[in-house]
Amino acid sequence: MTWHPGDDVVEVLRGPKPGGPGGVYRAFGETLRGLKTTFARIPEGPTTIQYPEEKVPVYPRFRGRHRLHRFEDTGLEKCVGCSLCAAACPSDCIRVVAAENTPEHRVSAGERYAAVYEINLSRCIFCGYCEVACPFDAITLGHDFEMSDYHRSDLIFTKEMLLTEPLERTPLRAEGE
Amino acid sequence: MPRPDRKTITFSIDGREVEAPEGTMLVDAAKLGDVEIPVFCYEPKLGAPVGACRMCLVEIEGIPKLQAGCATPVKDGMVVHTQTDKVRAAQNSVVEFLLVNHPLDCPVCDKGGECPLQDITFGWGRGRSRVVEPKRHFEKPLALSPLIAIDRERCILCYRCVRFSQEVSEDYQLVLQERGSESFVATFDGHPYVAPFSGNIIELCPVGALTSQPYRFRARPWDIEQSGSVCNLCPGQCNVSYTVRDDRVLRVLARDHHEVDDGWLCDRGRFAYQAMHVDERITAPMVRDGGVLREVTWERALEEAAKALGRAKGAVGAIAGGSTTNEEGFLLQRLVRETLGSPHVDSRASGALPIGLHAALSAPATQATVPDVEFAHAVLVLDTELVDDMPILDLRVRKGVRRNRVKLAVATSRPSSLDANAKAVARFAPGAGEAFVAALEAAIAGSPIGELAAAAGAEEDAVTAVADLLREAGEDVVIVWGERLTHGPRAVQAAQALLKVSSRLNPNPHPGAGLLEVPAGANARGLREVGVLPGIGPGLTEAAPGLDTPGIAAAAANGELPALYFLHTDPLRDLPDRATWQRALDRASTVIAHGAFLTEGLREFATVVFPTEAPAAKEGTLTHTDGRLQRMRQAIGHPGDSRSEWQVLAELSKRLGDDLQLFTAPMVYAQVVDSVPFYAGISLDDIGGVGVRWPAREAASAWPAGESAPVGLEAPAAAASPNGKLRVGTFRSVWAAPEVEASPALKFLAPKQRAELAPSDAARLGIGHGEHVLVGGVPAVAHLRTGTPEGTVFLEEGIEAAPAAAITDPLAEVTKA
Repeated sequence: MTWHPGDDVVEVLRGPKPGGPGGVYRAFGETLRGLKTTFARIPEGPTTIQYPEEKVPVYPRFRGRHRLHRFEDTGLEKCVGCSLCAAACPSDCIRVVAAENTPEHRVSAGERYAAVYEINLSRCIFCGYCEVACPFDAITLGHDFEMSDYHRSDLIFTKEMLLTEPLERTPLRAEGE
Repeated sequence: MPRPDRKTITFSIDGREVEAPEGTMLVDAAKLGDVEIPVFCYEPKLGAPVGACRMCLVEIEGIPKLQAGCATPVKDGMVVHTQTDKVRAAQNSVVEFLLVNHPLDCPVCDKGGECPLQDITFGWGRGRSRVVEPKRHFEKPLALSPLIAIDRERCILCYRCVRFSQEVSEDYQLVLQERGSESFVATFDGHPYVAPFSGNIIELCPVGALTSQPYRFRARPWDIEQSGSVCNLCPGQCNVSYTVRDDRVLRVLARDHHEVDDGWLCDRGRFAYQAMHVDERITAPMVRDGGVLREVTWERALEEAAKALGRAKGAVGAIAGGSTTNEEGFLLQRLVRETLGSPHVDSRASGALPIGLHAALSAPATQATVPDVEFAHAVLVLDTELVDDMPILDLRVRKGVRRNRVKLAVATSRPSSLDANAKAVARFAPGAGEAFVAALEAAIAGSPIGELAAAAGAEEDAVTAVADLLREAGEDVVIVWGERLTHGPRAVQAAQALLKVSSRLNPNPHPGAGLLEVPAGANARGLREVGVLPGIGPGLTEAAPGLDTPGIAAAAANGELPALYFLHTDPLRDLPDRATWQRALDRASTVIAHGAFLTEGLREFATVVFPTEAPAAKEGTLTHTDGRLQRMRQAIGHPGDSRSEWQVLAELSKRLGDDLQLFTAPMVYAQVVDSVPFYAGISLDDIGGVGVRWPAREAASAWPAGESAPVGLEAPAAAASPNGKLRVGTFRSVWAAPEVEASPALKFLAPKQRAELAPSDAARLGIGHGEHVLVGGVPAVAHLRTGTPEGTVFLEEGIEAAPAAAITDPLAEVTKA
């Protein structure tokens, strides 16, 4: 018995066959139409930004490299080493090892502090969940996006690196820019 | 009391019909119907519920007010609702009340992430609080003991820790001080809470009020992995779960096994994990080179060991310590017996017994199990201090006495911590166990016991009282006896006397009654069964007769055994008769030892030292004293290029010309099963996480027949008469172990030598409490203890600085130092 496709047959819409006047139009007419845009932009001049000499400003809510914060008045670290950022991290790039504050060696405001705080930026996807999870606003995602390096191990940022201000600040986009 | 017979009833919860055993508390019965009722204070392991936290309120039809589900037993036809508005409002309010004074400092709290209060607040709380008043404040954090930190602000006053201290471990130290909203948990006298089982309250606490000091701020639940294993530090073989982070063990938790540990752990098992990661631990093989032990490559150490053993073929003595696994024990006896052709292997401190007696003492028919202790009519604790020798069984005995009205009799030489719970207590002279058991046998039979009791140094009335209690209690009598009873030269007679008592008390062997040994080593039973005994091969078969431990010492001291092999034991620390051992180690040209720490014997005498794996890095099986095969699983890796110890033993065999073709630990286990007929058919999968009791399986019929001919008891040797001196008894404290000394957190518990004296003796000798004394030349601090029998002094074993094993006489003079 021969197979009858029934209602399953779908009609495929095909373009016109090559050749003929239609073919000529498509080869030249469409190309010219595209070139029109090209030539129209020539008077505007080049818009290439000369990175790294020039930098594109970022938006205020841009999520770049993380920063850890200190209290401005006491200088103590805001981070208490609770590891909630590590728990929230979807790419598992944060490692926190906590330790206890002593009266002689007080690092944070709470009982515990982060003795080790490392972010593996080669794994980080800059989702900002760590910032959301942090109960003390100790970690925020800054505006830095220039983090490339020659070794993967150099991309593991330690607590000291995260606590300091970045050397060069990324320009911030002004209102309405 | 025997196990209660419970009938099944049907009740309805949230509209579904659920069957549950009668008398179960509603909270537990609800689980059978997949309904969860939140609880804080309810913990069945702690005994009768108290209903302190009110979290478990449920609505029961016919009762106008909400009822506490944890304290209401289910009845047939009961109709329970847990999802009504009334119940929900009550649950919301209870959470709100509990949080009135809770600081909500979850980010810094160690319990964060594994906290029932967090979970229940999230699941059953309202989500916001109407309380704006200030919370109560306490000083925090405070050390409740060097091991436990207490934060009273977080406490929700559930009473769990207090109930544990009062009703489970019965140390009566924790109490709730003040009343009402002023209440707080504290020790009765304000001293630190130091007790053998104190660590359990950390695990019991449903909030972060009691936290572990060594684990403080180490990790969060999402940083760690739990890895189940079995503790190999004492014969209790509790099931544990190692908390591992970055390949380091950070914590040990109990892995509840009703038939082994009942969910508790002793502090040694809970905190000695720290010794796995200290610098003192040996991690590389060492060879003595120019009089000094130096770390060398594995290749060199194995080569030296193999060469030395090869030279001493036929004259090698090997002793396995208690923490040896079945696999290692099997390979050791095979290496020594077959590869090296020397029959001298032992795993007991002294007192070799023939096969028939070993078979009779642990025969499957008369083997009592751990839960039997809890449900027997009467329990006799014979010549063992449970809290030191097998701590977890101490809790089980207390539980039986407290909850099931088990009649307890204690017969020891040293005053026992169980005396207060016992209905009858008898004391006998140290080392006179045999005479005491013979006297007890006579008393049960109704014969005169005057002479025997005198020989045992026991009071006649006390022996009779114990005998009467055991005879009249009922048919289920469990005898918990210490291996110490069968040490010494008259081990055979002592074992025969014990068997006779057992057959008198349990003439018809039946489940629920019998003998339960408290061995001296953690895996003593397993080592026995895989053939690490002189003259007894794997599966309790006949083997060529060899020397036992004292024999090996004597032979080596005479220069007859040039090579000695110690697996997990340091003879100077663990074995009696130190002087002979010193001569033996000095005389032997080769001393190969596996050790975790450089203890005295290893440091001074070992020629080759192989590192012992950390318990968490070990793979192997252990046999519990009631016949349960349990499995140690590897939780962390071996440091560096370290090898497993079974690999070392197999490699030595191979180098000596006996290639066993062993590549993995399960292959060794397969060989063990092949040569031990009563283990037949037990695969590693069968053992799994909870173990298998081989005496309860069919293959147990392969157990050899025990000595059954009625033996006439000889007149036992009388205890030495003090005659101006004092009888010397020894005991080994639960803390006398190298891993305790090496653990930073436990170090403060490491014992110093003390001489326990009766106050009357001390007065006679003019010695005061706390004064320095010499007991037969061993320096000690006098410790006056009422209850110590007059004319006796007790010393601690296993202390390197002042070894009690230096005293070999049964009597010693006690003088002021």
